[in-house]
Amino acid sequence: MRPLPNDDFAPAPWPVTTGMNILVVGVGGQGVLMISKAIALMAQRRGFAVKQSEVHGMAKRGGIVFSHVRFAEEVWSPTIAKGEADMLVALEWAEALRWLDHLRPGRGVFIADTRQIVPPFACRSRKAGAASAYARETPAEIVGRHADGCALDATGIATALGDARAANTVLLGRLSVWLDYPVAEWHEVIDAIVPKGTREINRKAFDAGRAWTAPAPDEDDAAAPAVAAPMPDLHISVAIDPAWCKGCTICVKLCPERCLAMEGPVAVVATPAACTGCRVCEWLCPDFAVTVKNEGVPA
Amino acid sequence: MSARLTALHGNHACALASIAAGCRFFAGYPITPSSEIAEHMSHELPRIGGTFVQMEDELASIAAVVGASLGGLRAMTATSGPGFSLMQENIGYAAMTEVPCVIIDVMRGGPSTGMPTRPAQGDIMQARFGSHGDRPVIALAPASVQEIYTETIRAFDLAERLRTPVTVLYDQVIAQLLESVAVPPPEAVHVSERKWANGAGPAYQPYAAGEDGVPAMARPGDGHRAHTTGLTHSESGFPTQSPPVVDRMMRRLLGKIDVNQALIEKYETLMADDADVLIVAYGITARAARRAVTVLRAEGVKAGLFRPITLWPFPEAPLRRLAGPARAVLVPEMNAGQLVLEIQRLVGRDPPVHPLGRIDGEPIAPDEIVTAVKELAVHA
Amino acid sequence: MLDAAPSRSFDPKDYLRLQYMPHFMCPGCGHGIALHALLAAVHDCGIAKDDLAVVCGIGCSGRVGGYIDANTFHTTHGRPLAFATGLKLARPDLTVVVVTGDGDCLAIGGNHLIHAARRNLDLTCLMLNNEVYGMTGGQASPTTAATRFTSTTQSGAIEPTFDACALAAAAGASFVGREVTRQAPALKTLIARALRHPGFSFVEVMSDCTEIYGRKNDLGEAPEMILSQKADMRPDSHRDATDQPFRPHALPTGVFVERDLPEYGARLRAHAAAIRKEAGR
Ligand code: SF4
Ligand code: SF4
Repeated sequence: MRPLPNDDFAPAPWPVTTGMNILVVGVGGQGVLMISKAIALMAQRRGFAVKQSEVHGMAKRGGIVFSHVRFAEEVWSPTIAKGEADMLVALEWAEALRWLDHLRPGRGVFIADTRQIVPPFACRSRKAGAASAYARETPAEIVGRHADGCALDATGIATALGDARAANTVLLGRLSVWLDYPVAEWHEVIDAIVPKGTREINRKAFDAGRAWTAPAPDEDDAAAPAVAAPMPDLHISVAIDPAWCKGCTICVKLCPERCLAMEGPVAVVATPAACTGCRVCEWLCPDFAVTVKNEGVPA
Repeated sequence: MSARLTALHGNHACALASIAAGCRFFAGYPITPSSEIAEHMSHELPRIGGTFVQMEDELASIAAVVGASLGGLRAMTATSGPGFSLMQENIGYAAMTEVPCVIIDVMRGGPSTGMPTRPAQGDIMQARFGSHGDRPVIALAPASVQEIYTETIRAFDLAERLRTPVTVLYDQVIAQLLESVAVPPPEAVHVSERKWANGAGPAYQPYAAGEDGVPAMARPGDGHRAHTTGLTHSESGFPTQSPPVVDRMMRRLLGKIDVNQALIEKYETLMADDADVLIVAYGITARAARRAVTVLRAEGVKAGLFRPITLWPFPEAPLRRLAGPARAVLVPEMNAGQLVLEIQRLVGRDPPVHPLGRIDGEPIAPDEIVTAVKELAVHA
Repeated sequence: MLDAAPSRSFDPKDYLRLQYMPHFMCPGCGHGIALHALLAAVHDCGIAKDDLAVVCGIGCSGRVGGYIDANTFHTTHGRPLAFATGLKLARPDLTVVVVTGDGDCLAIGGNHLIHAARRNLDLTCLMLNNEVYGMTGGQASPTTAATRFTSTTQSGAIEPTFDACALAAAAGASFVGREVTRQAPALKTLIARALRHPGFSFVEVMSDCTEIYGRKNDLGEAPEMILSQKADMRPDSHRDATDQPFRPHALPTGVFVERDLPEYGARLRAHAAAIRKEAGR
């Protein structure tokens, strides 16, 4: 079941008269709750009973946030059990993957932003751009495993429109293709919940999400999350001037990454690739023998 | 405008003269019999945009004076024997780093606290050898309030011109004596401008000097970013212990005095040319000696006076010239015999050099000198 | 912020007299780390080298100034604060930093410290405390901890020590702080705050004398010494932390005093201006 890109003649692709379970997930600060609020409001307008439950206990920026929205003639439980979600809307890629098992097997719709927010614990190395333990699955793989859905660079789309923060509305627009109520009504719902000054951008974001089409296969790779190669490390370097080094070994023993070693009476850089540019050695060398270059970290 | 006559106490004259000489910084610590200088300075300096600060001790006073001079101001402190002792290390620092400053020492007797309110001339050798090591020394010994005025100005001139500390030594009697002083009009007061380095060229060497032996000083903020240290240093200003460099630098430093001897030297004579007995006296004692010479000459004794106004470096050549034909030399002074050692060194055994010391806190009276000279005239 | 003009990044070599480097301090000596932090703080505060005067006393700490490409003065033992007082009064336009040591500042120069603190002239005094007279061969100083061995306490020190920060605060310093060299970036921030503070600021830097004190007391090599600072250190904010009883000797670090008191130089000049006005000059 392929949703149609424009709604002039689109018939309702889903029996929205019978109610739905929608799971919205992301991390703090992304606007998870805005999406679930919009869905809930829309459902209310259509005369459904709605239950929305949410967890945003760690909603300070970066913490996990998810929201269950259920609507139907009658709703009893506020939460969606595993395998019972009709739709999963994810604002962050890893969160999308984490909640996949909640989707109805063979029938659930998957909508996700391909944006990655790498949590600190996924970092195996402090080096900027280093490979991490972050999910390696590509969007194509995931979308292909599910009945229906799409993975799009919602953040990129919103940024192009002028405000990266509207990425959630882009996804809402995408979702409206399956929850096919009139666009004008969606616009009203959006107007009702976003701050006044952002109505314009949110409407545009909604429309852009709704109008999104999957790129041609060869372009598909471009949407792949950048889990592949770490960034080239030209901006980090550590050097020791043997003429100034007195061999006190402070840098060798205090480097958290054990990059440095003694070679005879002086310290040398043994494993330059491991250097994260933290500058510990530079600060603590009593003899100004260490120079760390790291454009990312202030001296 | 001609000089204006006013009656001033010695210490007051000293303060006014220093201000006339452009002194704009005074740091001091109270000590009898010099405190009036600090008091006057505390009154005067704020009124002319200068700075007076009373420090926690004499060590700090001279240090602050040197610090202010390093900053570019003409600076001075005043003290007495015990305080002068405390200042010695930093006076040596000023000599080594060639920082101009003026130290007024209103002498008292000692050792230790001695007689704070009684006159003495106890710091002649302290002024010369008080600081450890060899250093260039300039000390002036005025004998009247008028001379306190002129010699204080000259002290600033020499200090600034030769970049060295200059001590003015006088005693409690003239310090607190009221005398009339011809105060010269401002345009008649001349104090040399310190030699400043200009242009921040890399070629600048803070301690490289020309023929006069005086290097140009780097004023902080002018872009030279020089280093100043009391360690032996090379022309660059940075420490060195290389024997040839240290020898060169130290000889230049000490030689600064010899090269400029003519500038520094100052003395006065009274009927000294044909004297059988030459009296060598300075400060208040010279006034008694002058009287004694007049009395003795009236009695037919050929006495004469040699009065060094610059005590250090001692005016050697003129003394040798005048003492040579004499049959005896008498050195009256208010100590147990300090300058007499220098005179003996200069004159040798012929003619014999005799001390006349007084250490009871009383000035030497003309009679005492007259008696001593008569005895010498008979026995010589 | 790509469009914002990038501020020139800090390179200590811009502030060092390269012709005299490497400096003469022993391997691992904390004074080098303190010097680095000072230079970084000077850079942070945007102080031009020409307008910076560094006045030092005697001892290992006294040699620190000579490596700084500024107006530097290596004065006499214990007196740098007094020299600096004269310099700053004569030249209020200069930023005057005093680098001194525990012996220089607390023993022979203790009187000058308390009076400088009392006057509140705008000086920044960096006391590098390594608990020993290193230059003269490792004699006990007023901060040598009890039981420590030095060449004048061959069977362990028995004298009580000074808490320099408490002393400076009690004497009236308007800014007082302490930091260890191990926390060099924090030290830099502390020095920068002291530099910006108008009035007398006293910063005690806990520095390691590795070759003399460290050896004599079996404190390990330079890395061990600097790491042990961690155990001895207690940021101000953790003072009441629950583990306090387990670290009875913890050394508080941070800013202890920051008060708005009239700065002496400004006060002196205002006073003089008032006198002149009254006198009609
Ligand atoms: S900057 Fe220095 S201490 Fe930090 S990782 Fe690199 S080499 Fe190690
Ligand atoms: S900290 Fe500096 S002096 Fe010590 S071993 Fe490392 S590079 Fe050499």
